[in-house]
Parts: sequence; structure tokens; C-alpha cells
Amino acid sequence: MHGEYKMPGGKLIVVDLAIESGCLARVQVSGDFFLEPDDALHAIDAALEGQDAGADEHMLAAAIRAQLAPGVMMYGISPEAVAVAVRRAIDQGTEA
Amino acid sequence: MTRTLWRDHDWHLIHTDPQSPALHMALDEVLTHEVGAGRRPPTLRIWEWGGPAVVIGRFQSLRNEVDGDAARRHGIEVVRRVSGGGAMFIEPGNTITYSIYAPLSLIKGMSFQEAYAWMDAWTLEALGELGIKAWYQPLNDITSEGGKIAGAAQAHRGGAVLHHVTMAYDIDATKMLQVLRIGREKLSDKGTQSAAKRVDPLRSQTGLARAAIIDHMIATFRRLHGLGDGSLRADELAQAGMLAQEKFSSTAWTADVP
Repeated sequence: MHGEYKMPGGKLIVVDLAIESGCLARVQVSGDFFLEPDDALHAIDAALEGQDAGADEHMLAAAIRAQLAPGVMMYGISPEAVAVAVRRAIDQGTEA
Repeated sequence: MTRTLWRDHDWHLIHTDPQSPALHMALDEVLTHEVGAGRRPPTLRIWEWGGPAVVIGRFQSLRNEVDGDAARRHGIEVVRRVSGGGAMFIEPGNTITYSIYAPLSLIKGMSFQEAYAWMDAWTLEALGELGIKAWYQPLNDITSEGGKIAGAAQAHRGGAVLHHVTMAYDIDATKMLQVLRIGREKLSDKGTQSAAKRVDPLRSQTGLARAAIIDHMIATFRRLHGLGDGSLRADELAQAGMLAQEKFSSTAWTADVP
């Protein structure tokens, strides 16, 4: 399933995922945003993996925030914007 | 670490013969590292492209961004760079690309937005001298009344910042749209439905040859910030050559975000 969200004043956030037994699986966040250091992307993917497919945007954003190491810098992307893209993938996602 | 000014540094220029896309990716990694380690003076590198390429951003999905079959059909090399940002479609002679490798002190205390504009203030001045009224459109675009001219990206490594920019000199929009997948969501707040129409290249805006624009940009940088002639060290080139082969030509890296 595939969802996209252009963060207002930011960049495009793309989410590809599957749902297995009601949970998010094989989550891949991508896009033309900026992250320092670059391995923060894996932390974001890992934070979303296994989350309940019924989780709302607030819960998803909190899960991402909790997983990010101190000092991670985000430009054109935020935990909230990723959460919107995840919800879009779940709610209106088509099979990629 | 206190903030430094452009003139506090001894800037060197690297402008060599055309090199392969993978080698360019590797040179950005190696030279950023060398400046961060204090083994190389802060450097401006002007790129010459040895072949056509699609360069995707560090965090972009390969399959979402690139039509791999179309790229192969056109003989276009697909590479992933070390910085974030969006995909670029490159044909030799159609873009002006440069990298600035600077100590982090040059952008100390700046927001991302300030740092992008700061690193390209000389470019805006050079364009103004060529009759183009250009400005920074946050987050990372250089634009003009006619449309977008360039995109920038930064990455921090060790004690250095890499700031690189690709400017459109000329563009084969038809081919670009065959190779890049540009979705509607991306254009949703750009006020246009057409990716091709977003770009207004330097050739049509200036009527100048690409080399003349590059010469003028180098002269502007030299006047504003000081710039001596430099070259790649043999060990830098050897290290970049190895990285180009083992990392930047590998599927593991290019498809790191599949």
C-alpha cells in the first residue's frame, strides 16, 4: 500500500507498507526531504513497523518521535507529516 | 567553534575534465571528508558530466522515482547521492552543477533555511549580473520570474558541510518525464500541473553559452570570497575511484531505499 503527503512548506513524504494481522509491516518511508544523520530514516521505519493499523496520526507521530535519537535534524519532514502519509497509505492505499 | 566568514577561508577551485556520475557521487563524499578532517582547504568544485544520469536523493525510493526501463533504453546511469532532496535528470551540457565543501563553522548557528541561502548568495549575485533576477525559494530551490532555475542540497559529515547545486542550462523535458516519475502530490502546492513548465533554464534566459556562464560564476565567487586554483590530489582521486566502483555503482547503495 502506498501513500504520499506533501508537507506544507516542506517536502514530499512517501510511505509504502503492508498490513499483516492488523499491524504495519515492511514499512518504507521515502521522499525528497533532508535528515541528519542519514540513518535516522531506518529509525523512522523501525518505529512504524508493527504499529497497530488502527493507530491515529497522533499515536504514529509519537511512536516516531520516541524512536529518534537526540540531535536528529529534520528539514522538510516531521513525525506528524510522516504520520499523515502513513494514514493515507492505510486508508486510501492502493497496492503498489 | 565560532562562526567563520567566507573570507576567513582559503578557497580552492577544482574544475576538471568530464567524470562519470558514480565518480562525482564519490568525490562529494571524499572531498567533504577531507575538508572536515582539515586535510583539504575549503573547495568549490565545478562538475563536468561524462554521461547522462539520473541522480536521486539519499532518501528517495528508487522505483518510485525512476522508470528503470526508460533509463536503460536511453543509456542513462542511475545513481544515489549522499544528500537528501529530489531527483535530477542530467545530460552533459544541459546542467551546471557545483559543490561547495566548507567547514561547518561557515554556517554555525544558522537554520537550514539560512544556511542554504548563505551558501548560494554568490550564485544569486552572479545570476543578477547576467540579467536574471533570481531568489531563494525555501526550502532548497533557486527560482526566477520565469520559473525554477536550480535545486540545492546539503549534507553534514564530520566537521564539514557539503552544499551542492544543479542548475538547468537546457532541458529535454520530454525525455526527463519519460525517465522520472513525478507524481501529482509533489506538484500539489507548486501552483502548476506541469513539472516541465516549472523549470526555466539558463540558456533561454541568458542566451549565453554554458561555459560563459560558468566562467562568470567562477569570477563572481573569486571576487566575493577569494578563490585560488586547485586540483584533486592523487590519493583523493584513487579513493573516490574505489568508492565509485564499490559503493556508488552498487545495487546495495542505489537501491538502499528500493
